[in-house]
Amino acid sequence: MAEMRELAEIALNTAKKAGASYADIRITRNIDQTIQARDNIVTGGRDSETYGFGIRTIVNGTWGFASSPDVTPEEIKRIALLSVDVGRASSLSKKEDVKLTPVEAYVDKWSSPMKIDPFKVPLQEKYDLLLAINERLRKQPNIIRAQSNFNFIYEWKYFASTEGSFIEQEIRRIFRGYSAIANVNGVVKTRNYFVEPKCAGYEIVDAKDMLDNTERVAAEAVAHAKAKRVQPGRYDLILKPSHAVLTVHEIVAHATELDRIVGYEANYAGTSFVTLDKIGKLKYGSKLFNVTADRTLPGGLATVGYDDDGVKAQKWPLIRDGILVGVQTNRETAHYIGEKESRGCTFANHWRNFPFLRMPNVTVEPNMASNAPTPDDIIADTKDGILIDGTGSFSIDQQRYNGQFGGDAFWEVKNGKITGHLADVTYQLITTDFWGNLDAVAGPKYWESYGLGGDAKGQPIQTNYPTHGASWMRIRNQNVGGAQL
Amino acid sequence: MALESAQIKSLFDRIYNSTKAEEVQISFSGGERAGTRFARNTFTANLVENDHLLTITLRIGKRQATTNTNKTDDEGLKQAIKDCEERARLTPENPEVRPIVKGPQNYLPVQASFKSTADFGPKERAEFCKQSIDICERKGLLGAGYLPRFDWVDAVGNSAGLFGYYHYTGVNYILTVRTPDGLGSGHARDNGIRKVEELDIVRLTNRACDKAEASHKPQMIEPGKYTVILEPVAAARYVSSLLGVFDARSAEEGRSFMSIPGKKGETRLGQKIFSDKVTIRQDPTHPKLLSNPIGNEGLPIQKMSWIENGVVKNLSYDRFWAAKQGKEPSGGTSGIIMDGGTATIEDMIKATKRGLLVTNFWYIRPVDPMKVLSTGLTRDGLFLIENGKITKPLMNFRWNDSPVITLSNVMMLGIPERAQLFEQFEDTGTALIPPIMSEEFTMSSVAPGI
Repeated sequence: MAEMRELAEIALNTAKKAGASYADIRITRNIDQTIQARDNIVTGGRDSETYGFGIRTIVNGTWGFASSPDVTPEEIKRIALLSVDVGRASSLSKKEDVKLTPVEAYVDKWSSPMKIDPFKVPLQEKYDLLLAINERLRKQPNIIRAQSNFNFIYEWKYFASTEGSFIEQEIRRIFRGYSAIANVNGVVKTRNYFVEPKCAGYEIVDAKDMLDNTERVAAEAVAHAKAKRVQPGRYDLILKPSHAVLTVHEIVAHATELDRIVGYEANYAGTSFVTLDKIGKLKYGSKLFNVTADRTLPGGLATVGYDDDGVKAQKWPLIRDGILVGVQTNRETAHYIGEKESRGCTFANHWRNFPFLRMPNVTVEPNMASNAPTPDDIIADTKDGILIDGTGSFSIDQQRYNGQFGGDAFWEVKNGKITGHLADVTYQLITTDFWGNLDAVAGPKYWESYGLGGDAKGQPIQTNYPTHGASWMRIRNQNVGGAQL
Repeated sequence: MALESAQIKSLFDRIYNSTKAEEVQISFSGGERAGTRFARNTFTANLVENDHLLTITLRIGKRQATTNTNKTDDEGLKQAIKDCEERARLTPENPEVRPIVKGPQNYLPVQASFKSTADFGPKERAEFCKQSIDICERKGLLGAGYLPRFDWVDAVGNSAGLFGYYHYTGVNYILTVRTPDGLGSGHARDNGIRKVEELDIVRLTNRACDKAEASHKPQMIEPGKYTVILEPVAAARYVSSLLGVFDARSAEEGRSFMSIPGKKGETRLGQKIFSDKVTIRQDPTHPKLLSNPIGNEGLPIQKMSWIENGVVKNLSYDRFWAAKQGKEPSGGTSGIIMDGGTATIEDMIKATKRGLLVTNFWYIRPVDPMKVLSTGLTRDGLFLIENGKITKPLMNFRWNDSPVITLSNVMMLGIPERAQLFEQFEDTGTALIPPIMSEEFTMSSVAPGI
């Protein structure tokens, strides 16, 4: 890493000499493998590798940024000077200087855990598994298409800053899944196999589980195509963790990003119904609602050693007993709530992109009471409800207040029993009303985490990878079915 | 600085000469993407990104593999090709693989790069943004804007002599203006502007400011079905959800809205589904678009209609499905134009007894693709029209509806404007879309967020 340190010091020294009060450089190598199979064909997928660097500077109190794929001393000098020029141009319209909270200097190396390197697993083994899954799915009646996929992501990152940090990290993420499309008398429905994507190696790929679930997934696709449409009305909703992932992401995690709260994202993803004066006071949900932000969650997709400001990963509360107690911050935004340290939420998804505030893993705590209900208890206690598994349609307003969600599979619950599948279920909510009607949370035994690969934010748009965990939950009395034509 | 055609050809030749694969297909995408972003009337990011990506597909018989790399040095390319060849040998045969497209191909002539835009640097962008910020400040409003500039090349080539090169320069301006109390929000944008001299930042800023002021302290009305006037920013986002239904294969396999239920293989091609006022076509050479004339696998983008006077005129065939069905492959879409009329927004307002003027749509997502049922929200200025006049600003709505229904219920179309089809800020997706006045649009619930 001596070579990397030398390159980094060229960047930092050049920037400082040119007038930057702060500078950092990220050199990253991004490697990606995707494999896709449709029915009995390996249709696509690719191997991807890019290498490059990005330099951020603060000049006259404003940010500049420049990036390049050419990792050489000469290009690093050129880009450092360009970053300073760009920052200087920004100061034309400065209201106030960028205020960074202090950070310790770290010289460290961190790596997400891995037992089996997915890039060393033979391609044939991966192809065979996906094609075997598809074959089993297509054998089932009424299944017209089967699709399966793998995505392995590796990022090597070297971060250095004028604060004195020199940090090397390796992050690995694995996504896998499959779906079956059923056609029953012209009604076409899809059912997906959901499994937790993780920061881990190939050891988490459970081929047996993937194959064993094909019959169920196919049968549920067909059942969904045959199911009666839900009657619009008000119902209790029982959310499995595989469904809660998106609801937590959209109306809790996004709503508590501090840069969004103060207006930085107004031009794209919007602001938030959460305002600074509500922190510590807002009743976000019922007393059962406890939410934690966590960049240290084992296997979490957003789990790192350090963020892209060089701040050490940490865990902190967002909601306790239903009250909003914290938000997500980084070095640039922490001062808005009077905090003296960043929570470590800066991230860029690629060397060429400008780092900014991105959500960490955000999870709903399970119910730790000794009499916490089991999923069977929750179902047995529900008179008129809908059980929802997996993710489907989703749409949320620009302040994360009005949302509409679908799912992947739905079951009618009547008088404490599951009576059959339902189709065309969507529910519309107002965030605080929704979580305010949370009246049952199962215990830690039923807690699962799922992750997302397409969290989009910023201009230009960058993606992010958060994990969201929850146990089974019940939300009372929600408006269902408003999306039908 | 964007690479010139000869430089890209030379790079492609090095790749062809480095592999023993029977067929080679390459695409190159790269250049400089710069942008200035501000919020709360102060700059939050100013950036210059340089990048390029080579996508190399190698075929050995019916086996193929694809690799992406940003390495262009000999050693880097050699390794990327070696890995790709190995993957190709291991990948099972794909019966849907077609021989690569023979070159040369004739592309519609499009001159899309201009020096003035390429030279539009960080200082110039900052000055333009400052003009916009100053207007917001004078009006006591908070602006959040983004001004990206592209100097970019997309090129394709293959070992059968095909080569296509498209160099474009472009700027976009996207602006959201809010009142300091958070009770009003307005929006304006222009994108895919090839010559920076055409960027009218003052007009766009005044428009967004006017919307923010007019939308201040919105009032609630009941959800229901309404006559709507969709301004082009909203109309473009809405119409884009229709574009995916033209895929021939999913239609003919019974998996899409264009399929006829119960009649295997039959589609709605040739049927009149929409109002006869509706024509959606494509022409990358349109002077307001100057879009990429090179389509999938190097096929030329054709000037053609997808919907003509309400009738579905064409479906889109990829090369495998075209060969199977005895049709010509389509190459894809670029330079989308929805023909309009001569009505202005003011004409449409005057013609509305009771309805809604919609500035922007947000978070449109599919609910039921088989019906093209989507959901989304209004945003950045929603206004009640009564007896031909705007009477008050309204709280936003969530809607659930289908562009199939909305474009069947068209009452008037206005003059098309440049607009962005997709929820993104890149250069692609620029289209010409008119304001659309349509009846019976379903606003499902009140969305109080501003």
